[in-house]
Amino acid sequence: MFTPDDDDEAARHQTFTRRAMLLGGGQLFCFGLVGARLYQIQVMDEGRYVPLAEGNRIGVHLRAPERGHILDRFGEVLASNQEGFRATLIPSRAGDLRQTLAMFARIVPLTADEQERIVQRAQRKSRSQPLVLAGDLSFEQVAELSVLAPRLPGIATEPAPKRTYFHGDSVGHVIGYVGGVERLALDDDPVLRLPGTRIGKSGIELGMEEELRGVAGSERLEVDARGRIVRSLGETAPRPGRNVVLTLDVGLQARVMARLGRERRGAVVAMDVNSGEVIALASVPAFDPRELVAGAGADAWKARLNDPDKPLLNRAISGLYPPGSTFKMVTALAALEAGVVTLKEKVECAGSFEFAGQSFRCWNRRGHNRVDLHRALKESCDVYFYELARRVGIGALSRMARRLGFGEVFESGIALQKAGVVPDPDWKRGALDRGWLGGETVITGIGQGFVTATPLQLAVMTARLATGRKIRPTLIRHDAGARPVARGDAFQVLDIAPEWLDAVRTGMVAAVNEDGGTASNAQLDGSSIVVAGKTGTSQVSRASSERGQGELPWDLRDHALFVGYAPATRPRYAAVAVVEHGGSGGAVAAPMVRDVLGMLIVEDPAAKPAYRQPDAERRADAAGRSAPEGSD
Amino acid sequence: MGNMFWSRRPDTLTQKFMRVHWGVLLVASLIAVIGTATLYSVAGGSVTPWAERHAVRFLFGLGLVLTMAAVPLRIWIGLAYPAFATALVLLCLVPIVGVETLGARRWLSLGPVGFQPSELMKVALVVALARYYHWLPSEHVSRPFWVLLPLLMIAVPVGLTLRQPDLGSATLFACVGVGLMGLAGVHWGYAIAAAASIGLGAPLVWNGLHGYQRRRIEVFLDPEKDPLGAGYHITQSKIALGSGGVSGRGYIQGTQSQLDFIPEKHTDFIFTIFAEEWGFAGAAILILLFILLIGMVLRMAHGCRSVFGRLLIGGLALTLFAYAFVNMAMVTGLVPVVGVPLPLFSYGGTAMTTIMVALGLAMSAHVHGQEPVRRPQY
Repeated sequence: MFTPDDDDEAARHQTFTRRAMLLGGGQLFCFGLVGARLYQIQVMDEGRYVPLAEGNRIGVHLRAPERGHILDRFGEVLASNQEGFRATLIPSRAGDLRQTLAMFARIVPLTADEQERIVQRAQRKSRSQPLVLAGDLSFEQVAELSVLAPRLPGIATEPAPKRTYFHGDSVGHVIGYVGGVERLALDDDPVLRLPGTRIGKSGIELGMEEELRGVAGSERLEVDARGRIVRSLGETAPRPGRNVVLTLDVGLQARVMARLGRERRGAVVAMDVNSGEVIALASVPAFDPRELVAGAGADAWKARLNDPDKPLLNRAISGLYPPGSTFKMVTALAALEAGVVTLKEKVECAGSFEFAGQSFRCWNRRGHNRVDLHRALKESCDVYFYELARRVGIGALSRMARRLGFGEVFESGIALQKAGVVPDPDWKRGALDRGWLGGETVITGIGQGFVTATPLQLAVMTARLATGRKIRPTLIRHDAGARPVARGDAFQVLDIAPEWLDAVRTGMVAAVNEDGGTASNAQLDGSSIVVAGKTGTSQVSRASSERGQGELPWDLRDHALFVGYAPATRPRYAAVAVVEHGGSGGAVAAPMVRDVLGMLIVEDPAAKPAYRQPDAERRADAAGRSAPEGSD
Repeated sequence: MGNMFWSRRPDTLTQKFMRVHWGVLLVASLIAVIGTATLYSVAGGSVTPWAERHAVRFLFGLGLVLTMAAVPLRIWIGLAYPAFATALVLLCLVPIVGVETLGARRWLSLGPVGFQPSELMKVALVVALARYYHWLPSEHVSRPFWVLLPLLMIAVPVGLTLRQPDLGSATLFACVGVGLMGLAGVHWGYAIAAAASIGLGAPLVWNGLHGYQRRRIEVFLDPEKDPLGAGYHITQSKIALGSGGVSGRGYIQGTQSQLDFIPEKHTDFIFTIFAEEWGFAGAAILILLFILLIGMVLRMAHGCRSVFGRLLIGGLALTLFAYAFVNMAMVTGLVPVVGVPLPLFSYGGTAMTTIMVALGLAMSAHVHGQEPVRRPQY
């Protein structure tokens, strides 16, 4: 058996020989390819790569793109770039690194610690890659460094645009800020490798990072032995980032911020209900991105991060609040649609609601007697909505909430939006590993319990109720670039019967305008324009139901909310205000929304011609034509 | 049975020594010497840190080749499957207990020495496939089932190394393994079917690749896309090659290379350095040396009587070819950067060990080339 069939063996050997010759031929062919390629690079294209003189060398330098600007809807600049200078170091040319750094530190103060850190960084990286020693140099420092250049081998100064912000105190939360690249993966955009690159860390700067960043260019340079550029062997120009035009009206934004600024913590969202464009997005406490970009020290950062008021939190998009009674429109629509209540049907409110052995209070201890939907919305009767929630169930409630925008993170251009919670039994099982309790359905009916939403989501709900369309919010005016802006009729019609929507709207009008309504503070005095709205007072602690708000410590008081739109007949604008621990929605949030709606109606920013980027097309063209030669 | 098998008296060590293919060793040594000289140049004219160790490693390797050449083939055939199984197990262990360097887990730590199971696999796969075809009756070679089995033996290590991620080793396994199947006589129709299915399966593979792997391929297809990012290696390498011109910039005079422009200049990109310093003329000579070496190895295979021996030697030819071609094509921008060293030339202990072990196996097959090799039972 060890002696193979001789014929077979011979045949196998023959096959092997044929295949081996095939392999040999393939080998010749493949190496021939390599040879041809080398011939092409080394012989045919020789001139392109050979330095002019011995000792010179060729290097590829990355050219940073300019970051796009951010403008408001009328073209007011909110973020741009300013000329600045920075000092860089190429360790392989520095000679004695420590000595050079010590010399450098006489001009640009660097502590011994910082110098040591630079030495360590230099050891970790390729010795021919520049490191940034200091950004934001003064002209005097640049001049001194140039004069002392012979004693500072490897150190160079170069222009480095610096991100600058305007109207920072009023739009800081929206714009966000930029910062250094923290983690760099191998496959990241080469721009990120450039020393000193700044990328968006929050707000529009982060949300629109891709548009703003641009594409790096490169230049092949012949450099002599001293590092001086001899000639350029071709370049690809960087493609600057796109400008981003916001829907924000910065003038109005500033006034809204001033109005909101009377409170300690809170947020306001003002929106064009037909286009979904956010006109103002305010959050207090505010911060000015200029202070963060100009290199706020670690202490300043720590102070902001540890501040109990969380000034870096944009409450309008990341603040999560129980919607309280502003959720009652959701409960009403869910119940009407399910047919578990009619418009006429009255529910008895004796000041509390009994369910499964528990007692749920109405805010009005004396009760509202017999209330129908209209009066329940107007007077914000809790018992009526407890009963509706009990009848319709948590499934229908959460589905209606989602249809109106709860639980959703919108593609609005701004980063770090929160989704909030639209609770149902599945959610609770997943999040808390507990079963759903009937009482939780009841309190969800008045926007308490697990349900939370951001002010932006409440504004979306208000816009959807006002228009009956599936409005999506945006902070970006796309028509300033290429894409057409979404118009009101571009949004899908909400699949909710118009008569139910009308009933809810009428209730919201009554809450503001009829005697006994909870939101009379939202009326626009001396104007014929009718506001529709709903108050909300969301409980923060149990104690608040026992004692009056005035007696409570500030941080145990209820959050005050109000959602409203105007004009009620032909809705144009919606506004939402949330004041943390404000006490009562009707007393604190309603007047704020009234003032904001007043500004919106008077100034009517949506009706004014918005800014169009004049050079949008030209910039795109220029970028396309920018590689004249030297592409290999 | 043993008596029947050993009808001839076993050769003495001296006889075996006389039968070593000295020509192959001579060409290999020539390449290693040029490599050492280039490493001397890369270090700016210094035997440390690379040139001296490279030379020492090669000499050790030569000793290993001569030692292995004296081992009869039945030993290798016996070790084939155990070695393959061990390599598989170790490859599976890497993601669990491996040491992570440069974002990839490829190494196992064995006390002071690091060890890449993928290197063991490069040899083990060749030996295992050679043993498989030695056992397989020739009428079965092209039957679908018997084609599927070796394909599986190749695919599993390819998959495991792709996940590490180590695109270079995966490429080598695939090239060497499939090439060996070809040498074993698998019907060429399968090659056409495979080419077709690669065309159809490419999108799937694409989805399975890591971001950086995809980026390398994208950049390969369009280096302008990312001149300083992932395309950096290729661009810099091409500039250095071009600056060499026809006759080169002279030994230790490669200005591009002497600076830090070339990444991995003592390992994967050493050919760039050599070609800058010696120009097209030098590069062509080096390529011819590789062609000569591989041609000699193929002839060596042809002279071997047993299927196992032929395929062992063929495996070496394929390994040398895959390493050398992929490396040269990579630094000249013909194929994407996959991280494959130039055999005998690049600095690095693991690749040197792999090549020398493969050479030792081939030499053993050559020395025992006239002996029949018993077919295993399974």
